[in-house]
Amino acid sequence: MSTDEIVIEVGERHIREINRDMQKACAAGKKIRVVDTLSRHNLGIGLPPGADLHFEGSVGYYCGGLNTGSTITIERNAGWAVGEGMADGHITVGGYAGMSVGAAMIGGTIHVKGDTGPRCGVAMKGGNIVVEGKIGYQSGFMAHSGKIIALGGAGDSCADALWEGEVWVAGDVKSLGVDVIIEDPTAEEVAEVDAILEPLGLVDTSRNWRKMVSGQRLWYFESRDASAWLMI
Amino acid sequence: MCGIAGRILNSPGKVGRDLVDLMDAQSHRGADSTGFAVYTEPRSSGYVLRGMGFDKSAIDADVSDFSNLLKDNGSQLLSEPQILTDDNKHYCFRMEISDPDDLPAWVADADDLCHRIEIQSCGRSLEIIKDIGSASDVADKHGVREMIGTHGLGHARLATESSVLPNASHPFWARPFSDVAIVHNGQITDYYTRREKLQRQGYRFLTENDSELIAVWVSDQIKSGLTMDQALKKSITSIDGVFTFMIAGPDSIGFAKDRFAMKPIVVIEQNGSIAAATEEQAVRRVYKQEAEVINHDGPALSGIWMLQQQSKAA
Repeated sequence: MSTDEIVIEVGERHIREINRDMQKACAAGKKIRVVDTLSRHNLGIGLPPGADLHFEGSVGYYCGGLNTGSTITIERNAGWAVGEGMADGHITVGGYAGMSVGAAMIGGTIHVKGDTGPRCGVAMKGGNIVVEGKIGYQSGFMAHSGKIIALGGAGDSCADALWEGEVWVAGDVKSLGVDVIIEDPTAEEVAEVDAILEPLGLVDTSRNWRKMVSGQRLWYFESRDASAWLMI
Repeated sequence: MCGIAGRILNSPGKVGRDLVDLMDAQSHRGADSTGFAVYTEPRSSGYVLRGMGFDKSAIDADVSDFSNLLKDNGSQLLSEPQILTDDNKHYCFRMEISDPDDLPAWVADADDLCHRIEIQSCGRSLEIIKDIGSASDVADKHGVREMIGTHGLGHARLATESSVLPNASHPFWARPFSDVAIVHNGQITDYYTRREKLQRQGYRFLTENDSELIAVWVSDQIKSGLTMDQALKKSITSIDGVFTFMIAGPDSIGFAKDRFAMKPIVVIEQNGSIAAATEEQAVRRVYKQEAEVINHDGPALSGIWMLQQQSKAA
């Protein structure tokens, strides 16, 4: 272990105490290695910008929430809402990430090496989510801004009720959600996506992208039209 | 936001202890009440009853009337009833009885006393223990950690649709089907319509809890000729609402999950044993080492885990 690194054990300790230890390590400018994580919830939330955390094993709900510029690596799986509300920084999940990855995030990047659960990027307002596997049911739901980039495919109801966010999928899309259209991306747009993938070593020029954007009809939705959208 | 759990051991053992651990880790999901369905080693004849009486000052009269009712149905108590009282007005009981002539008919008769005494489980191996309080409160009071068995269910309840009463806690027994229990996280929105249909078929409900309905509905589908697997799949398209439930029988635990993927379930399977729960951190109480965790996160999923163990989850 480097002297610049501190090891924090989770086990069955109180989460508040663990996050306080993380705050202290950040204040001392130490990198943090977190062990015996036991898939516990609420780890590494609200840390100051510039923190560097490495979780050995899996974490539970909300890991890295409200990230303001930390670099967070999770070796294995993450539970629901990893990186919820994050504004900046970088989160890497080595395995699977549960529902609502990056919910309502406004900036930064989340990189999931496996698949995600439903509603990946729900209501996100900025930033990028890169998923090497598949994104789950109804991913991109009401995403207002930012990009979700799925290299392995997407589940049912993809990009449902999207706003100004974009969902890019390189594999199969099981079905589309309401008010979504698929556009052919321009070369400039593909270059923008490749610029996000490049630091992750994931550029592949042979990909056949499906770029999903809003059809914009729901933007002017009125309740009298509900039956037309099969909502009632 | 309730928490649910299921556990199957690869050989009979301390399933009660594991269920308490699974539910203790999820106490924050339901502060109102906790319950356990424990499948002990099955007897070849006779049933174990678990339940509660609503007035502990009437225990003697309750037991006497209940015994007479057993006699009328060709059954009898096989041992002295075990009665548990505390500061609450209600009391809890465990009884062992011989086989009634006709189990559903006897249950219907016994339910005529349900304003005084309520049977909450009946089985060759099933015992449901449920009460107000946290997992450790209920476990301490009822000795759940010491229970030996093969498999079981757990539930922490955050009441949303019906009262905070000990008898509105989960798990629910699928009366009058012996050895069937359910735990459920969610809300069923066509509850009253569906309940009326089942009542017209002769089923009786003792609570206003939607989970009681699912247990009976699934059992009725199986009685009508469907396999458990088919009944679980049918529940996804037939029952309206957001839900994930687990239903246990004498040799299996099945689960079903709604079309909206709102209620999670995660599973670890190892060497013929499984632990399933709403949250991964709960199953990690049982399997402390890093393990392959299966997240059934998608919509419209169902599956069955069998004792001695072939997973059919899909």
